[in-house]
Amino acid sequence: MTSTNSQPVLEDISVIVAGQGGDGSLTVITMLADLFRNVGLNVYTERDVASRIRGGHAAATMRAFIGEKHCIGSHIDLLVALDEEAVEKKVHQISSNSIVVFDDSSGPLRSGLLLEGTKLYAAPFNRIAMRTMRRELYKNSIAFGIVGRLLGLEDEAMRQTFTKRFERRGQIILDYNIEALELGLHLADEMGIKRGEGKYRIEQTEPEEQILVMGNESIAFGFMAAGGRFFTGYPITPSTEVLETLQKWLPRCGGVVRQTEDELAGINMAIGAALTGVRTMTATSGPGISLMQEGVGHAGSGEVPLVIVDCQRSGPSTGMPTKPEQSDLNIMVFGGHGDFPRIVLTPGHPDDCFYLAVDATNLADKYQCPVFIAMDQALSQNIASVKPFNLDKVKVVPGKRLTAEEVAALDTYKRYSFSEDGISAFAAPGTPGGMSLVTGNEHDEFGLVSTDPKNRVKMMDKRFHKIEEAKKELPKGRHFGEPDAPIGFIGIGMMYGVILDARIELEKRGYNTQYLQPRTLWPMLDETLEFIDRCERVYVIDLNAQGQIAHLLMHQGADSSKIISIRRYDGLPYRPGYLVNQIVEQEEKLNNDDKKEAKAQ
Amino acid sequence: MTTPPSTKTFTPARPIWCAGCGDFAVQGVLEKSLRNMGILPHKLMLLAGIGCSGTIQNNLKCYGYHALHGRVLPATIGAKLANPDLTVIAAGGDGDGFAIGAGHLVHTFKSNPSIMYIVMNNSNYGLTKGQVSPTSPIGYHDNAELGLDSMLLGLSFLSSTFLARGFSGNPEQLGRLMEAAIEHTESGKGFAFLEVLSPCVTYYDTHREWRAKVYNLDEDESFDPTSRAAAFQKVIELKEQGHIPIGRIFKGEHPSLESIIVNKEETLPAQQNIGHFNEHRKHYDQFIKAHLG
Repeated sequence: MTSTNSQPVLEDISVIVAGQGGDGSLTVITMLADLFRNVGLNVYTERDVASRIRGGHAAATMRAFIGEKHCIGSHIDLLVALDEEAVEKKVHQISSNSIVVFDDSSGPLRSGLLLEGTKLYAAPFNRIAMRTMRRELYKNSIAFGIVGRLLGLEDEAMRQTFTKRFERRGQIILDYNIEALELGLHLADEMGIKRGEGKYRIEQTEPEEQILVMGNESIAFGFMAAGGRFFTGYPITPSTEVLETLQKWLPRCGGVVRQTEDELAGINMAIGAALTGVRTMTATSGPGISLMQEGVGHAGSGEVPLVIVDCQRSGPSTGMPTKPEQSDLNIMVFGGHGDFPRIVLTPGHPDDCFYLAVDATNLADKYQCPVFIAMDQALSQNIASVKPFNLDKVKVVPGKRLTAEEVAALDTYKRYSFSEDGISAFAAPGTPGGMSLVTGNEHDEFGLVSTDPKNRVKMMDKRFHKIEEAKKELPKGRHFGEPDAPIGFIGIGMMYGVILDARIELEKRGYNTQYLQPRTLWPMLDETLEFIDRCERVYVIDLNAQGQIAHLLMHQGADSSKIISIRRYDGLPYRPGYLVNQIVEQEEKLNNDDKKEAKAQ
Repeated sequence: MTTPPSTKTFTPARPIWCAGCGDFAVQGVLEKSLRNMGILPHKLMLLAGIGCSGTIQNNLKCYGYHALHGRVLPATIGAKLANPDLTVIAAGGDGDGFAIGAGHLVHTFKSNPSIMYIVMNNSNYGLTKGQVSPTSPIGYHDNAELGLDSMLLGLSFLSSTFLARGFSGNPEQLGRLMEAAIEHTESGKGFAFLEVLSPCVTYYDTHREWRAKVYNLDEDESFDPTSRAAAFQKVIELKEQGHIPIGRIFKGEHPSLESIIVNKEETLPAQQNIGHFNEHRKHYDQFIKAHLG
């Protein structure tokens, strides 16, 4: 590879491909991610689509970097715009240092749209695809040649990735795409972007073994590794990949996956399966969570172990199905009629999703209650490079289950026996002697319907006591920064990566911060409240309009005077720079207020 | 285990039904049929819906479950798919099955899991004091709609495999139908749907009316229950003549749900030793390989 010193080493780059839905933006980004992962960089990708199959503005973003990052950056280094609208929509994220690759099939880019100095490479990808290949479809593969060259990727590596990507779709599709790539590389030569003369230089390192996964896939595999063998689901964006991943893999382990007629069937079929002792999960998004509420309460009252994944999207009602939000927290923590215990876990990264899915599956079985995994669209569907999951860290912790011999050794078997920890051992159907009743009605220890006031109170207390016991071992949060830093952050889900990135920038600007990612949102752990106690003020980042996390913290006794509630509900994913600006603005305002106050005194 | 353990567990409840309720006969016939068919209590799951009939699981020694209103079928299917070794029976009323739970019934006919579903049809909402139900006829209270006929509904699915209607006033026949239904599910042939005309003595006593109207197809030698088209025609004709057809309405063949989606090479989901993922390590390795690119 020839190189010149003017080529900066690629350390952290963000590439965005934007156009209309169906233009193949995501395909380009997925292949770029694969290429960068193969040369030893870490990657993180994001999709931004309308809820439709074709059309509507659509974009996909990839960040490739050295070191640890868990979000898309604020700045775009390379914009691949497949139409003018793409430039209009993304121009605010590019600077004069950015490169723009533009499809000028419909005419040259409107002058004045880009900042002066922005390097523009325009070529009629669509026209070339139509003229040479009679298929508009291949314009993205043609553009890929230009993009790959600019980024310093090797031609041969590009061909390999194309082969890997398209060969499973048949020789014809593969041949067409390779032909399109070659057209693109030829075009790059004509435009003066020769091999090894791109804008960047990649310092190739021996790649660590890294897999590319999205949170939904990690959830599915964590569940499977923890002994999950039954899954029900009804397709709904952005949870569907949990269903699809398990449809592919779970039956191979002897598990059953059932796509049900609706979410009501989804949760109730899961409950029916769980009664037999199998570890069970269902996954959905906001509208499905609303439909499932009766079932959630039923599992709480009947003490049925169940894992429910909520891949949150913008609500209420149908909302904005492909946009991220964290606005189902209230329904997960408080939803359903009546009082019943539940656990809500909050992973922050595809890697975390795997391990928390293991925990959720174990906890549901042990505490015989509904356990939610609170995801959001970005965490669910953004793809990151992570180390292959460590199966040695997976412990399958069995619940209190009685064998036939253990039942036979008892004088009396009661499905809902009162016990010190509130957990009643149970015999699964098929166990001789273990016949029992499970019901959502209030019941006595045998499961027989009861409205006896004393029994009622004892049963309610028993169920809630389980959660007190669970607190001792619920997943702890992750803490970053010095414990005496004055400024605190609390944020969950996709905010994990954004806050980590923002902290670095804030530190450069002189703000000393610490961050707690609670991984158990409910019941609230003492560590969360202690974190708030030791900060001077805490920015609680809520991806919802009402400040659901902030309210939950205050409801649990956090000092409200310390909480600064930051809320966002416009459907856009958070970028670190946006957060930094919000914090700096707020800090400066506080600073000014202090000065005014000092003056007044 | 040869002798059943002496461990005490719940004492089956006494039925809460009104004296003379048709559901007594259903329970009696069910208990007898299970005995005759050799179904062991610990291998039986009885799942019931909400309503008067939805208390039957409390009265039998078995693994009982009280579902949410209308959701007994999905719960039952979940149990069956998780552990096909069990005998899994759903029970409920006409409101539970044909109103709030009708969507699930449609999909159960479609998917054909090997479960028996007993619908105790009393043509009103007894537990909430006699409101109009999906099977109430025109003229009951202020009802102006024709009642739903579940046999016609079932027949319209080319995947339905067992449709029968019994009458609590004819327990001998009901016993034969129920044993045939259990035989159907135990041999993995699919969904055995058994509606039982079970009069409500308190709010809508149809006993005499139904006794006069029933037409027993089991006694009609010209009727062929293996012909779906003939069954359709006969049921419609009888209804038009003001009769209620009872007996074996239809028996067909179609692959059962569990025979299609449960992996026969592996241990059943509910019977797996989940402590060792290493058994399935090769699938994990494949997953990783697929994501390594």
